[in-house]
Amino acid sequence: MPAVRAVDLSKRYGDVAAVDGVSIEVEAGEILGLLGPNGAGKTTTVEMLEGLRAPDTGAVHVLGRDLRTDLPAVRQRIGVQLQTTALYPRLKVREVLDLFRTFYAGDTVDTDELIELVDLQDKAGSLTRGLSGGQAQRLSVALALVNRPEMVFLDEPTTGLDPQARRALWDTIRDIRRRGATVLLTTHYMEEAEALCDRVAIMDGGRIIAEGPPARLVDEHFDETPIEVPAGGAELDGAPGGVPGVERLQREGGALTLYSSDTGATLTALTAMATAGRTSIDGLHVRRPTLEDVFLRLTGRRIRD
Amino acid sequence: MSFVLHLYVASQKSFMRDRMAMFWTLAFPVFFILLFGVIFSGSRQEPVAVGVAQPAGAGGPDAVSAALRGNAALEIQAGARAELTDRLAAGDLRVVVDAPPGLAADVAAGRPAEVEVIFDPTSAAARDVAVPVIGAVLSDLDGALRGAPPLITIRFTTVTADRLRSIDFLVPGILAMALMQLGLFGTAAPLVQLRERKVLRRLGATPLPRWALLVSQVLHRLTIALVQVVIIIAVGRLVFGVEIGGNVGLLAVFSALGALTFISLGYLIAALSRTEESVFGISSVLNFPMMFLSGIFFPLETMPDWIRPVVQAIPLTYLGDALRQLMVGAPPAHPLGLDALVLGLWLAAAVTLSIRLFRWE
Repeated sequence: MPAVRAVDLSKRYGDVAAVDGVSIEVEAGEILGLLGPNGAGKTTTVEMLEGLRAPDTGAVHVLGRDLRTDLPAVRQRIGVQLQTTALYPRLKVREVLDLFRTFYAGDTVDTDELIELVDLQDKAGSLTRGLSGGQAQRLSVALALVNRPEMVFLDEPTTGLDPQARRALWDTIRDIRRRGATVLLTTHYMEEAEALCDRVAIMDGGRIIAEGPPARLVDEHFDETPIEVPAGGAELDGAPGGVPGVERLQREGGALTLYSSDTGATLTALTAMATAGRTSIDGLHVRRPTLEDVFLRLTGRRIRD
Repeated sequence: MSFVLHLYVASQKSFMRDRMAMFWTLAFPVFFILLFGVIFSGSRQEPVAVGVAQPAGAGGPDAVSAALRGNAALEIQAGARAELTDRLAAGDLRVVVDAPPGLAADVAAGRPAEVEVIFDPTSAAARDVAVPVIGAVLSDLDGALRGAPPLITIRFTTVTADRLRSIDFLVPGILAMALMQLGLFGTAAPLVQLRERKVLRRLGATPLPRWALLVSQVLHRLTIALVQVVIIIAVGRLVFGVEIGGNVGLLAVFSALGALTFISLGYLIAALSRTEESVFGISSVLNFPMMFLSGIFFPLETMPDWIRPVVQAIPLTYLGDALRQLMVGAPPAHPLGLDALVLGLWLAAAVTLSIRLFRWE
């Protein structure tokens, strides 16, 4: 039984379809990432899965129960972290956690254990309004865990964190899964989705446009190798057919990326052109394809603009 | 159910850590009482300045000014009539008395004489104190000059409980004001803040029932109201000797009813406001007319007729009236039952509208 099963979810705000026919399943025990740019409909989707927003169409089952009929029972068993983290500014970290524990009927996690899990030992006695952005974010993740949830929803848990704090939070999220919980998180960091998620669903314009394990998504949509030629000019624009091996090219601002199905032939040709003075290959970079390339291929845009 | 208690404790702790909120709800009404108390109790003891016109060429105090000087309520100053009336117009003097020269001799000889008393009728000190005193003094002088001492004397007997001082009126009024402002400003702002910061939304993702949040908030507000009542009554009593003359049980009931009415108005304001700024705007728009038109500071008799319907509609009028009756035994403007009924109607209307209009997000 999947931990979450949603079929054909839609939500309109006026004329705008924020979510437009999304079906999604989260397998028990996995970390699923909902990846997409701001405004893709990630938060609206997650809030419908959490029971915070009623969908216009479609049905959601969480932990085997229909949200339309069993929402109170489901709320006992899920953990939710919202994008905004402000909570009772004049309560201390420990007090907020203690307070949230009283909201649940079943067994809850010891407050000290939660504080340790998100590494807030130094701040346990501080008012929450004195926390830094990253500390507040970690507190809000801890609040999502007080009831030993079987299903955890995290909405952009690492947004606004510095790289070190982000990696620490990744460890925490892996920890949550190790304890047996299923995790659904949203993110617009594709490297986060690649590093952390067993499976990724890519959203754009209110729809899921691709879904699968990160490596497989890349393989499926990409045979080519991206070759970045930052100094490459208009002389390469005639490249499909012009430069051997190049299937497509993508120009973004000044940066040019060639997608080559024959890396050796393409590089040889570029080197020859550069030697003849017909182009510059300064800063040339051959890399592995990423989810960003998949998104670019599917939408013609980058995830983070 | 323990979450109600825990939410209540959380609200209480948050409040006690908020110095601004503590100041406005607890210290501010006390400042108000001290300030107004000093102003009102000070004005009573000042003698009223009265000018007595000296006819040109007349030497020494004549009989009229000598008689007036004998009264402690008046402070007599002598001068030419024109100079004294100028000072009256400027507000230096409250009353000018002009008696004809030779008055004493005329009266003693049985000839009538006229004394002119000039005053501004809008001055309470002149109208209510100086003019009656001058009349009594002149009447005594009349009898004395004619060698016919008055046969009728008046013996004043006062009963302290019936004679209300300004401060006796003021303390219940300030209590009513404090309860109103607790509801208008103290209820809506924290709730809208919780909504704006998405805390309500976050709580909505837990199994916590919504009623639990509301019940804990109302209990928290009622606790603060109780503290306000105790502090204000204590300051009134210890500093100004305002004794509680009425039924203490009923006083508690009306304080709670008044607090609940204004707390529910606070919820209505929260229902109508999207932001904290609009809470402050709406609260102020309600606060000022209530303060000045409810009779808690200014007697209702001084207000023009056209504004009476407003006065009769606002809930603070009835809370102030009930608290004045119950605290210091003031004469009722309305029966207590009517006060309770009007407050109850406001409460019911505000609760109904809040439930209909309040948005959790």
